[in-house]
Amino acid sequence: MAVKFFGQFLVEKGLVSREQLLAALDLQKATNLKFGEMALKMGLLTEDQIIRVHNAQHSDDQRFGDIAVRIGLLTEAQVQEVLGRQQDTYIYLGAALVAVAALDEESLAAHLEAFKLDQEPYVVETVEIPAGVSHPQVWEAAADLTYKMLTRLANLPYRKEQCTIVTQVEPNDIIARMELSGTLQATYLFSASSGVRAAIARTMLREEVDNSPEELLDDAVMEFVNVVCGNLAAKVAQFGQKIQLAPPEAIHPGNEPLPVPVGRIGLQFPIHVVNGEEVALVLFVEP
Amino acid sequence: MKKVLLVDDSLIVARQLQKILDESGEFSVCAHAKNGLEAIKLNQEHNPDIICMDMNMPVMDGLTALRTIVSLDTEVKVVMATSLSGVGDKFMEAMKLGARNVMSKPFEAETVLNILRQL
Repeated sequence: MAVKFFGQFLVEKGLVSREQLLAALDLQKATNLKFGEMALKMGLLTEDQIIRVHNAQHSDDQRFGDIAVRIGLLTEAQVQEVLGRQQDTYIYLGAALVAVAALDEESLAAHLEAFKLDQEPYVVETVEIPAGVSHPQVWEAAADLTYKMLTRLANLPYRKEQCTIVTQVEPNDIIARMELSGTLQATYLFSASSGVRAAIARTMLREEVDNSPEELLDDAVMEFVNVVCGNLAAKVAQFGQKIQLAPPEAIHPGNEPLPVPVGRIGLQFPIHVVNGEEVALVLFVEP
Repeated sequence: MKKVLLVDDSLIVARQLQKILDESGEFSVCAHAKNGLEAIKLNQEHNPDIICMDMNMPVMDGLTALRTIVSLDTEVKVVMATSLSGVGDKFMEAMKLGARNVMSKPFEAETVLNILRQL
């Protein structure tokens, strides 16, 4: 179980074939024109004018239509006309699969319902993020996915505490971290005591890990971070953010705290687990 | 019994997958590669029926290895494994390059086996 998109769910369950999905996506690509493509098709812009807008976008992160108005290529009314046409002709993946005869209307409705149920555990629950932090929705999803994976991958009951701003990360037996880049920059850190590390490895392997090598146990915590951040990337793609992940790293900080880098805010989400074990999620984020 | 080559830099993920496959009695793991480059070499040496390959690995990533493997060997069926499968672009890139399916992390044993049985 993981954060998925509808096409992946269908192929994974064997409900549509790889070839059918690719055909439906090709149909979507041909039908769902970008703003410039649609304006070209409607005869409102020429190819040269589209290039002018794209060039202007290199130094200005406004939307295509807004720039086209600013540099006098389109009127506001024409922008609305293009947006309206895009909306009217948009074809969703489900409809595209019906159009390429991969599904019929009845089975599409049933599969959409099953998909909704499959993804229900990954609906983001409210986590309060301190005011003044950018992209709070992303960090809320990061915290919520960490809590969910703690149950799923470590089988540990936990109690979460409110997020606080910190200047350093307290030492622990292991801190696994992953750099996030793309439309936002951040560092995800998962700090765990040795009992939590063993719980993750035990749950993943479904066997006792008392005599397992350190490398395998550290790998378990790094894989935990990999899974949380991968699912985070999928979740935030649903609200327009693109995140790339660097490979996870394991740090054994000894007794030294880890300072929050200059120019970043440290968000700490303390997590209480049984038997005195210690866990925390810390995010180094941009202000 | 179908032979499977596992490709993952993570020791615990490889062991987890091996356990799922061993317990099924339907698949046997013939080798384990820790990156894409090793996967290309071990595919030639072991001639597996199926390759289960991680996307994000050092030395050579899974998508680069996938491109090479399917160009050299039209018989082998490659399934990618990643925590990023829910990112539509990554999923589609793998499928367009020739992956037969993409397994999501964290794994569920039954889902993994069903995907491999469909091949």
